[in-house]
Amino acid sequence: MAVYEGIAAANEYMLDVAKACAAAAAKAPTLTGQFDLRMEILTGEDLEPMIQVLETLGKGSAYQAHDATAFRAYKDEGILPPVLLLGADLTKPPMWNCGGCGFTTCGEYLNYVKKNKGVGIGAYGPSCLWKVIEFGIAADHACACAAMHRAEARIMFSMGAVSMFLGRLEGASFVLGLPIGPVGQHRWFDRKSWTKHLSYAQRTVTQMVGAPNLFFAFSGGGNPILKTKQRWWEDPTFMKIEQDEALVDKLAQDQADAYQKIMEYAGVLDEEE
Amino acid sequence: MCTSVKEANMPRIHIEEWPPYTESDLAKKENALLVVKEMANAALTAPFTGGVNGVEAEIAYGQKELEKIAREMERLAHENVPKKLRKPFLYEAVMVRESDAILFLGNFRARNTPMDAGCGLCGGEPDCSFFYERVLHFNGVVDPTDRSRKTTIKGPLCMLRAHDLGYALGSALWIASTHFVDSKPSYAAGLAARNLDFCMKSEVVVGILVGVAAKNPYADIPSDYHLTNMANQVDSLRKIAVITRQIPNHPYMVFDPARQVSDQKDEEE
Repeated sequence: MAVYEGIAAANEYMLDVAKACAAAAAKAPTLTGQFDLRMEILTGEDLEPMIQVLETLGKGSAYQAHDATAFRAYKDEGILPPVLLLGADLTKPPMWNCGGCGFTTCGEYLNYVKKNKGVGIGAYGPSCLWKVIEFGIAADHACACAAMHRAEARIMFSMGAVSMFLGRLEGASFVLGLPIGPVGQHRWFDRKSWTKHLSYAQRTVTQMVGAPNLFFAFSGGGNPILKTKQRWWEDPTFMKIEQDEALVDKLAQDQADAYQKIMEYAGVLDEEE
Repeated sequence: MCTSVKEANMPRIHIEEWPPYTESDLAKKENALLVVKEMANAALTAPFTGGVNGVEAEIAYGQKELEKIAREMERLAHENVPKKLRKPFLYEAVMVRESDAILFLGNFRARNTPMDAGCGLCGGEPDCSFFYERVLHFNGVVDPTDRSRKTTIKGPLCMLRAHDLGYALGSALWIASTHFVDSKPSYAAGLAARNLDFCMKSEVVVGILVGVAAKNPYADIPSDYHLTNMANQVDSLRKIAVITRQIPNHPYMVFDPARQVSDQKDEEE
């Protein structure tokens, strides 16, 4: 006989849900009949390197900071959820010669991959169109399974990418991370941890630069005013397009910092260096 | 009195899967169509990169509509696709005829409005150069008006958007299996439908065949299925039974060959 505290028991149950999600992804229908899905479930301290790398990347990128902040907060609260990693090598075409990748035949594609396979901000490529779609079906089944269990979850490019760069699911060209839990409502949307991270002014600027059209005044004069303040017609702000050299340098430095962090965790560099 | 009024307004609905396109089967197909419509909604609410829409859906329903798609698949099998896909395309054409409806899903952003995130999926580079160096565009605004194709699908495509299409398909398939109707995603059906202007905005379209039957129409496929399927077997029965009955014919009002045998037996006893 035992009495369990409900929320704690529910959070523990999330690991079982993660396993159910893995089963659902493994059962997902395929298009080519030859899809090789690989998965891992990471918990607790095994997630610390990923969170640290995300924090480093987050210095120059909002969406990574957004995820890093939430993972860190849940860890501090003692409710860090398990993360289901889903990955696959998407560079093995079914030899259908469809042309979707941009090459005339799968043979031409494979020749290019052999010489030019490279990596972007979160994935290796070039990828086969059909493998990319099949991977989506499998990842969706994991998400749908979490939803059917009434579990909080959000499929993440950020967590998958850093996990791949830190050596998880070796050989996969694309990895996604699916945190399952903590229990509650909208734990990966409208995040409490994010309330302290951005000021009201920063939120306003983010919306203004993301969707400037909303704030443009009459454009017929050729120099539309960007309505940046309540009395926008006084000492008006005009839009100017020019290169932000300082930002370019900062972003390059942020990338280098993140790369160093990954190398440290991969054991290539000593933390002392 | 109330009961009789209800009965008058609510006719009996008999439901059975055989023979196809009878009143009873059409009632079943209408039920299947309800699921397919729910699948379309699920496809639109699937998780997408950045939560951005990009999926369009279209449903094919009815014997003639499905027949047109099956025929285009058969044309592709013989004239377009690599030899290894010939039989899969022909087999899936049979499955289309056995389906109650097909949900087509396409992603129009994969070709027209990429994610522009430098993810690396399309070309393995930390920018989107692989895509933009190979498509017509003005300062990054893609010009989709040249629709000529040198390959079956006009590539390259934004692979992150194509990946989104997978989620739409996954959620639609999930709804199908949750309702215990059988389903199957098909490249062949999607390609045929795209050529027939289903999901007209999208370069890549996938079809989900949906069928309600005691036996899953998309599993347990025997060899040479385009010839050995149930429709062909039934037709062969019609073809041969008519010939066969003309041999043991008899004036049945006055003569029963079975009676003759029993009369002989009586005499022997």
